[in-house]
Amino acid sequence: MTTLLTVLLGCYLLGGLLPLCTSRPHLQNSLAHSSAAAGGSAGIALGLGGLFAAQPLTISVPSNIPYLTCALRLDPLAAFFVLTISLVGLAASMYAYGYVREFTGRVSVGLLGSLLNGFLLSMTLVVLADNGFFFLIVWEVMSLLSYVLVVTEHERRGVREAGLFYLIMTHAGTAFIILTFLLFAQESGSFSFEAFRHPDQRLPEGLRSIAFFTALIGFGAKAGIVPLHVWLPYAHPAAPSHISALMSGVMIKTAIYGLIRVYFDFLEGQFPWWWGFTVLSVGAVSALLGVMYALMEHDLKSLLAFSSVENVGIILLGIGAGMIFHTYGLDELAALGLLAGLYHTINHAAFKALLFLGAGSLLFATHTRNIEQYGGLLRRMPWTGLCFLIGAVSIAALPPTSGFVSEWLIFQSLFLSVQLPTLFLKLMLPIVAAILALTGALGLACFAKAFGLSFLAQPRSPQARHAVEVPVSMRIGMGFLATSCGLLGLAPMLVVPLLDRVTAPFTGVTISGKVLALDGWVVAPVTVEFSSISTPVLAALLVGAAGLGLAIARLLRKKTPARYSKTWGCGLPLTPRMEYTATGFVQPIKQVFETIYQPTVKLEQEFLEQSKYFIRHQRFHSTIEPLIEQYLYRPVVTALLGAAERLRVIQAGSLHLYLTYIFVTLVLLLLWAG
Amino acid sequence: MSESTQLGSQLVDLCSVLLLLSCFAIVAQRRLSACVDLFALQSFFLATTAALVAFLTGHRHIYLAAALTVVIKVIVLPRILRKVIERLNVSRELVMNINIPAGLLICGGLVVVAFFITQPIIPLGYLLTRDSLALALAIILIGLFTMIARKKAVTQMVGFLVMENGVFLGTTAAAYGMPLIVELGVFFDVLVAGLIAGIYTHRLQDAFDSVDTSELTVLKE
Repeated sequence: MTTLLTVLLGCYLLGGLLPLCTSRPHLQNSLAHSSAAAGGSAGIALGLGGLFAAQPLTISVPSNIPYLTCALRLDPLAAFFVLTISLVGLAASMYAYGYVREFTGRVSVGLLGSLLNGFLLSMTLVVLADNGFFFLIVWEVMSLLSYVLVVTEHERRGVREAGLFYLIMTHAGTAFIILTFLLFAQESGSFSFEAFRHPDQRLPEGLRSIAFFTALIGFGAKAGIVPLHVWLPYAHPAAPSHISALMSGVMIKTAIYGLIRVYFDFLEGQFPWWWGFTVLSVGAVSALLGVMYALMEHDLKSLLAFSSVENVGIILLGIGAGMIFHTYGLDELAALGLLAGLYHTINHAAFKALLFLGAGSLLFATHTRNIEQYGGLLRRMPWTGLCFLIGAVSIAALPPTSGFVSEWLIFQSLFLSVQLPTLFLKLMLPIVAAILALTGALGLACFAKAFGLSFLAQPRSPQARHAVEVPVSMRIGMGFLATSCGLLGLAPMLVVPLLDRVTAPFTGVTISGKVLALDGWVVAPVTVEFSSISTPVLAALLVGAAGLGLAIARLLRKKTPARYSKTWGCGLPLTPRMEYTATGFVQPIKQVFETIYQPTVKLEQEFLEQSKYFIRHQRFHSTIEPLIEQYLYRPVVTALLGAAERLRVIQAGSLHLYLTYIFVTLVLLLLWAG
Repeated sequence: MSESTQLGSQLVDLCSVLLLLSCFAIVAQRRLSACVDLFALQSFFLATTAALVAFLTGHRHIYLAAALTVVIKVIVLPRILRKVIERLNVSRELVMNINIPAGLLICGGLVVVAFFITQPIIPLGYLLTRDSLALALAIILIGLFTMIARKKAVTQMVGFLVMENGVFLGTTAAAYGMPLIVELGVFFDVLVAGLIAGIYTHRLQDAFDSVDTSELTVLKE
């Protein structure tokens, strides 16, 4: 284990330094991404090892700085997140080997690869850190490195603005995390996580609630919960695609890790019911608004980013339900909720990263992110199309995929609220389940749009017409994640026991025996009588049904002569202009949820002078109002800018004036102190 | 207190007062080269004070500090500053933020403030140099004031160096000087600061055709 950890750290460090020692782009590329891939492989082994280890592995290196010890601890929770990070890290580094060619000449490949290694290293250390101070340092390193990676293409104005927005939000979030840790440190007198876990005296109830909120805000800003998500749809798409995959796939999960660590570990799972209910509500709102805005987005990467907001919401639904059950001592159900949340965490890491890599491949082939410009790409890029389809089906939670298993488990844990003693929660949890159902349906529409309009029908732009399949290394990266997605969905009997080891220390019960009935072929929420489902059987049925259909078709075909023509052609020659556009596809939904979207449509027409029946020129604008930015952030920003404008009076830019400020302050302080 | 230490203490006080007087002379002087000469003179008084303290207390390392003061502040830095003045072709400072009579009055006030502030502390001290603390503080304040009152980069540099002299006198007065290694570091810093300020003044001249730091206001967006 220690060896694996050393290998992991060594690989990332070498991958961070070596590419900077040479100036040949090709060598830099190989060095950086092979080290990152090696580090990722070591991380997967380390994560699996950590999950099965009987005792957590702890390593501590003291430092000269007060309160700071570079302490690492690999308990099952940390091991699970190391596994998740490394899984995506490995795929992203294989993919990046081909993908960075997109940047040759514009950005230093060596620097990009080196930063990738640093980013992976810092994320791994965040989940391993066992000291508050050390955690904050690696957390900040992670944030800053991701900022630098976001602004890779800094020559574009939009990218710089997205980066700045991200930087402000992430620092505000870190401030709240620091507050949380200071609260704990105040009671325990030390920054070590061990002391946080077992303080000399328990925090007073009021301070515990404050710690709850500061942690929710601090980690929530990174996770992208509504209303702190506003930076996410700008920053994640702005980064190079393999970095977007890491940011959306795993970086936001470090925040989920932080929340579980604080609530279940430091606060020892002792909390009132309304904590869990707050997390649950935040999750429900994030899930619904996330998917609604994702649906309206025509930039493929922004769409995926909004969908990350949705999925973080879904994860929080599982965790929130687990917290509520935990308050009422329903340990098995608490374990179920938490397990479902974690299951969705690793699922989302796999399929969201896969989709971002797919989006990167489309960008690589067509040089645009606008879905309206795609079309007919399945024929031109079959491998990318297949991988993207697997990701899209998983994220849309269609049976028997991975997203389905975890969302189904979350649904079940919400339905099991009938066992709760209070009427209020008995009523509220099914409502949340209904919101989740709506989210699921909208998510399906969203990814039907993302896949259908990109890959099917005919190309709607010359770029799409001339697209070619991406290089092998990129296909391997995507294929790896697609396989992981399939495995996570079809083999819950392998995944659930691992997750059970993560949740067991927090809830005190193991439920893998109950969740996996009939030798693991059936997944059930604690009791088989309530409901149960089996993805392998479902998959077999689906394949069987499809096979049967094909067989019948073949049998019938022998009797009638075959006739080949264009699908839905009706005898007319088909052109791309007849296709559904992305805007058209979502129009009905936009109408239904008019209150939330507040759409504005503007049509400018210019007619020929001779007749009003002939249009010379027309222009169509359709926008939706980003509600939260409009009503929550804009007033704050306006007030800040106004205050800054007023403060500007004292910033005259004169050296003498500044010296006078110093002088007056000095003399006044001396007089006051004297 | 024996008679000889009393005499020594008075000698230290005398030197410190000479330092303060040279400050006033700098504030009252319009000619740049004279300002630099006065700074060299002040540094010489400082070196004398330090040597005196070293002789009276037997702290050998203060001799070294005194020697360094002579080399760097009496010889090297004034030479750099004179070169700068020569190159810039500016000999007088005609416009000031605060005119000379008002400046002198303010400096008088600053000395009063310095004595007022240090009054509660000084009786607590037991070193023979303790009275110099008030003078040191006054010199620091006057140095800072010079930087505010004057517009030319050269005189601001002189103001900065005067402040540094004040700090040096203060440490000698309060604790018989800092540990030698710190002292060496500070000398090095001052030397580098002097060099940088020299270069900076040249740049200022190139960019604005003037060494008036008020011109820097245009850097504001």
